[in-house]
Amino acid sequence: MSLRVLLVEDDRELRMMLRDALAVEGYEVHTAASLSEGLALLGGLAARSGRSADTGTDLVLLDLGLPDGDGEALLAALRQRHAIPLIVISAREGDGQKIHLLDAGADDYLVKPFSIGELLARMRVALRHRGTAVAPAVTTYQRGPLSIDLAAHEVRLHGAAVHLTPTEFKLLARLVRTAGQVVTHRQLLADVWGPECTEQTHYLRLYMAQLRAKLESDPADPQLLLTEPGVGYRLAD
Amino acid sequence: MKLHASDSFELRGVLPASAVWAFGWGAMLALDGRLDLANIAMVLVLASALATLWLPISLSLLLTALSVAAFNWLFVPPRHTFAVDLRQDALLLAAMLGVSWIVAGVVTRQRMLASRARHHARQAEQLRSLTEALRDADDPLQRGGLLRDALAEVLGQAPKLLLLRDTMPSSDQPSAVVVIGDPDDHERSGLWHCMRQGHAFGPGTGRHADLPEWYLPLRGRGSAFGAAFVRLNLAERADDALRTQAQALCDQMGLVLQRALHARAASVAREQAQAQGVRNALLAAISHDYRTPLATIMGAASSLVEQGERLSVEQRRHRAQTIVDESVQLSRLTDNTLQLARLDAPGVQLQLDWESAEEIVGAVLRRVRSRDVQHRVHARLEPGLPLVRCDALLLTQMLENLVDNALKYSAAPAPVEIVVRRQAGCVVLAVRDRGSGVAAAWRERIFDAFQRGERCGAGLDDQARRGAGVGLAVCRAVARAHGGELKLRPRAHGGSSFECWLPEQAPPPCADAEGGIAQPAESRP
Repeated sequence: MSLRVLLVEDDRELRMMLRDALAVEGYEVHTAASLSEGLALLGGLAARSGRSADTGTDLVLLDLGLPDGDGEALLAALRQRHAIPLIVISAREGDGQKIHLLDAGADDYLVKPFSIGELLARMRVALRHRGTAVAPAVTTYQRGPLSIDLAAHEVRLHGAAVHLTPTEFKLLARLVRTAGQVVTHRQLLADVWGPECTEQTHYLRLYMAQLRAKLESDPADPQLLLTEPGVGYRLAD
Repeated sequence: MKLHASDSFELRGVLPASAVWAFGWGAMLALDGRLDLANIAMVLVLASALATLWLPISLSLLLTALSVAAFNWLFVPPRHTFAVDLRQDALLLAAMLGVSWIVAGVVTRQRMLASRARHHARQAEQLRSLTEALRDADDPLQRGGLLRDALAEVLGQAPKLLLLRDTMPSSDQPSAVVVIGDPDDHERSGLWHCMRQGHAFGPGTGRHADLPEWYLPLRGRGSAFGAAFVRLNLAERADDALRTQAQALCDQMGLVLQRALHARAASVAREQAQAQGVRNALLAAISHDYRTPLATIMGAASSLVEQGERLSVEQRRHRAQTIVDESVQLSRLTDNTLQLARLDAPGVQLQLDWESAEEIVGAVLRRVRSRDVQHRVHARLEPGLPLVRCDALLLTQMLENLVDNALKYSAAPAPVEIVVRRQAGCVVLAVRDRGSGVAAAWRERIFDAFQRGERCGAGLDDQARRGAGVGLAVCRAVARAHGGELKLRPRAHGGSSFECWLPEQAPPPCADAEGGIAQPAESRP
């Protein structure tokens, strides 16, 4: 069974183009041109699937500036009950907006214009983390010379064990669990240092620098621990 | 000291006048018996004329009459009586009195004219010096004290003043005026009323003549730009000359205020016109920059639509790639234009945070990689750089623009370097290329939004050089928004170094929360 994508986008051209492109990739695409249509479709698909915990949708692509309201309302409605991945696609590029939506539960944020290749890659990442609440959490990571096994508390580079301090490990582990996804500064600080430290971004700078020094071949041109300026960090996927 | 005129009796005139009379009488007594009566009488006439120079007319006339009587008593036979024997002596006495009185009258009148002329000259001088002092003032509003002092000199007491800051407000807003001398509420409303009406109130002005005070408007052409209040004593109430002078001083201030207001309005209008001009030039430049990629996209896309069947797969792929590349270009141009507009707006708020230069450079390298197929861009960071207080997104955009520029303006395979170092209390982020450099004449203008170094960089096709204008303007705006500066430095062996100097700031305290933050050195192996 193909994966079902709900696409909420008011621009007709972009909606058609995305629908076709996603259909080519084998997704079953349902489109909505407004907030109310999106919400109705979400309810309708859930009813059709016949399972109360299921939305009948595997992933939502959500535009923000909709004719009858802001897409954020749909995000809020969805997050009250479901953990299905949602990617925001919007022309608004302020980082304040990005951080706000990511913290509100969006899985990712793509600024228009974007390429289809980038959208598909982000969708794959989001789907992989689908249902993190029920599915077993990601505990291993392997990319290039780096392999990480969270359960065994083990980080290896070119096969050799790398010594990390407890805080460094906690920070890395947090990124591994959502590899490929942006984690905002606030989320990282709250998860690693505690909710009272969410403003101390300079902790992050220092510890990310230390992690890069230990894990990257050229810390000034990182390939693994990527920075999303003004938003957060992403472990390459 | 009061400047207003008085021809009244002045005490210091008595002394010389007394001396003249004493000397005259001494001479007459001494000459008695040696000269005849008519000659001695001449001495009296002379003394009388001289004494008149210092004395008020009434006293002069009185003293002369007394002297003639005394002369009659002392010298005219029969002596020691007021009787006169000879007719010619009677004529002499009458002539003495008449001539002396006429001389006294003429001299006094002359003195009065001279005194009035002096008074006018003083008033004119006062007006002139006020005008001059006000003319030298950058902001006459701040110089209300000058008018207060000038009026105080005329009136003998400091007036209370109201000066209009800008155009007349619809209500009596205290913020619209400068107040000098702390008037009470009643006086304040009187001043406002006087300013709005543009008429003087008080005795002699024809309006509210029963008031014990004057309200004088600071009149410019057409309307008033302030008002003065002064309380009067009884004598001053009837003094028209005093009021005329005070009004002249007030009007001088009014004219100056009006002129300043006009000058401000003109300068605002000029700035607006200039801003409009800049905006138009910017819009023209931006539309030009947009048109080029749009033309390419249009060409490639319409070719796909109309010739699609006849193109080879490779040709079709190439057209599509062109569309993608040019769209990216357009997208970046849009980002830059929006950012420029945002940074140009007054009171722009940056998302400041403590950022690591290494991370920003890393993010830039990652972004430009797709446009840097030959891997020409390298980064070199001084170890131990401090965190920088900045807006990461803006700095990333700035460096990305600079790197794009460097790639465009220097031919492959010359390297492009991002260098970050500390120097002179600043963190310097530099992007260096080995291109043809920027001609000296263009080194400043290149940062203007609508300039492009068209004349420097011969050898590169126009295609490669487009779009630098808005990009560099944004870069400079970013640097300045951070309290820094973007400089262009030509390099010793060719090429340019664009350097963003950001003042270093004291880093945040790295307090060890119990969450496990530790000294960064702790984890170093």
